[in-house]
Amino acid sequence: MVKKSTPTEKAARMLDLVPFISAHQGIATEELAEQFGISVAELLSDLNALWMCGDDRFDLIDLEFESGYVSIRNAQTLNHVRNLSSQEIVAILLGLDLISKDLPADRMDLRDDIDALRSKLGKGLERVIDATPANSGEILATIKRALLSGRKVEIDYVSATDGALTKRIINPIECYVADNRDFLVAYCELAQAQRTFRIDRINRATVLENVVAERVISTQSDATLRATVAILSNARRSRESLGNFVSGGGQQVEVSTYSLSWLARTIIASGGAMKVLAPEESRSEIAHLAARTLAMYR
Amino acid sequence: MSRKSERLVNLTIALLGTKRWLTKAQIFLAVDGYEGEPEAKERMFERDKDDLRNLGIEIEVGSFDPLFEDEAGYRIRPDSYRSNITEISSRELSLINLATSVWQGAVLDSTALSALIKLKSIGIDSDLDAIPSIEPTIHVSDENFASIVDAIAERRTISFTYLSQELVEQQRVIEPYGAGTKGGYWYVAGLDLDRKDIRLFRLDRIGSEISPQGRTSSYQIPSDFSMSTQLASPRKTELATLKVRRGKAEKIISASQIVDTGDEWLVVEYPFLHQYELLTDVLWHLDDIEIVKPTAARAAIIALLGQVVSAHG
Repeated sequence: MVKKSTPTEKAARMLDLVPFISAHQGIATEELAEQFGISVAELLSDLNALWMCGDDRFDLIDLEFESGYVSIRNAQTLNHVRNLSSQEIVAILLGLDLISKDLPADRMDLRDDIDALRSKLGKGLERVIDATPANSGEILATIKRALLSGRKVEIDYVSATDGALTKRIINPIECYVADNRDFLVAYCELAQAQRTFRIDRINRATVLENVVAERVISTQSDATLRATVAILSNARRSRESLGNFVSGGGQQVEVSTYSLSWLARTIIASGGAMKVLAPEESRSEIAHLAARTLAMYR
Repeated sequence: MSRKSERLVNLTIALLGTKRWLTKAQIFLAVDGYEGEPEAKERMFERDKDDLRNLGIEIEVGSFDPLFEDEAGYRIRPDSYRSNITEISSRELSLINLATSVWQGAVLDSTALSALIKLKSIGIDSDLDAIPSIEPTIHVSDENFASIVDAIAERRTISFTYLSQELVEQQRVIEPYGAGTKGGYWYVAGLDLDRKDIRLFRLDRIGSEISPQGRTSSYQIPSDFSMSTQLASPRKTELATLKVRRGKAEKIISASQIVDTGDEWLVVEYPFLHQYELLTDVLWHLDDIEIVKPTAARAAIIALLGQVVSAHG
């Protein structure tokens, strides 16, 4: 779970333990370890090392932790909270910015608090750091709550394959992250099959408190279609529009997808920048869809 | 292993606790762990200084007597070591708690945790009821992001390779000004030294490691620079009139103004910036959307559809 710390990381932790324990005298070792994200064994090793530190010409740190509770005395020199590093400030500023832009309508009062906090901590970095969430944290929180309590969820979903808005009742299976985006795997009652949903395409989510969901095990068996695609122009834009379904480099790439319709739309939307070479089934589908659309203009 | 961390802590105590400058000889005497030949001790001390600097602890170098510069003295100034934040309310701490939880599993995870620990040491316990139940998350697994943050803070030029529009890896040298995220992508903005202009770069298009160049504090971030302005979407100044099949193309409709509602079709005005973006958006929806105006876009879409048909026929 936690990788072994380097001596420098350990030293930093020892320095930060002093003011933390001072502010939380008598804290239980388990809780202290949890706060620092380390094991109890590692914490005890830190405390033992810290206890040996100091020199009678400067300080003798008086630590008590054998009882399972930790207290500290006589550590004046180190008893100061260290300055936040720029990375630490940036980590907090980005987090605060995301929260601020994702507040539920009834908690807008927090926006001013967050702004004040950003300038209090920011040291001028607040104007060079900016974050807008890719999807609503409220929706992700709702879905995770349903997963935990084993409930079904009703969602409004904007389809990634045809752009239509549908109301669906789903039984969440798992959340995962790919390419810096959130996804949800669920059994969809509308499709009567397992589907993968992009969280940022869910407009609304409500937990159905009274509907207990039967446990579903992910099958991850979205059937795959493989196609060979030629990239003719706008190389970067074209390639990026194929997302993480693409492999191979250069002007000819392989695309794996479970949706023929998605592939057809992506190729047509490229407006001639890409063309499918194989399979024939997919080429004729694209020709058919483009001709049907063209017929609308005639 | 542990000797080294103890030595770093003892060195910090010695240099922080002294009001006078300490010479190397005094340090080697007072701090346990400096052993061996004089050169070995010197090397150890130099490495320790670097390690402490990496933790954000600056060791000041001075001299006892301005007339004799041969004997250098060292100390850590308490006001550079200490945080100048002296008060933090429980509501603020709750918000910081939430802000750090955003990083779970992402690249600055442990950084965010150490920041939280420091702020909790200022004293007040957080009051979790005061904050809403939202779960914003940051997903950046890109190690380059941490290097970029450091470079911005140190104002240090960086170079990297960047995927051009033609998918060619280009070498870029920039003075980074700001960083941020939008729509699930991460960006760094900075002055491109070859193109002499402020440019925005997407992290997933950076192909190499970020390599810092030259000295720190080598430039200034312009006072009018703002990352949120850099990431703001350009104002869409053009309007297209579209016929949209009812119940379809939700994203297009929610970005549009509805001007007429029929049984089968809606007529909407859809803002756009460049014609190619309009064409991409509309083509995706096949025969669920028809461009009525502008006539140039209508003509262009007819030509493109013809091309697609003949390429796949």
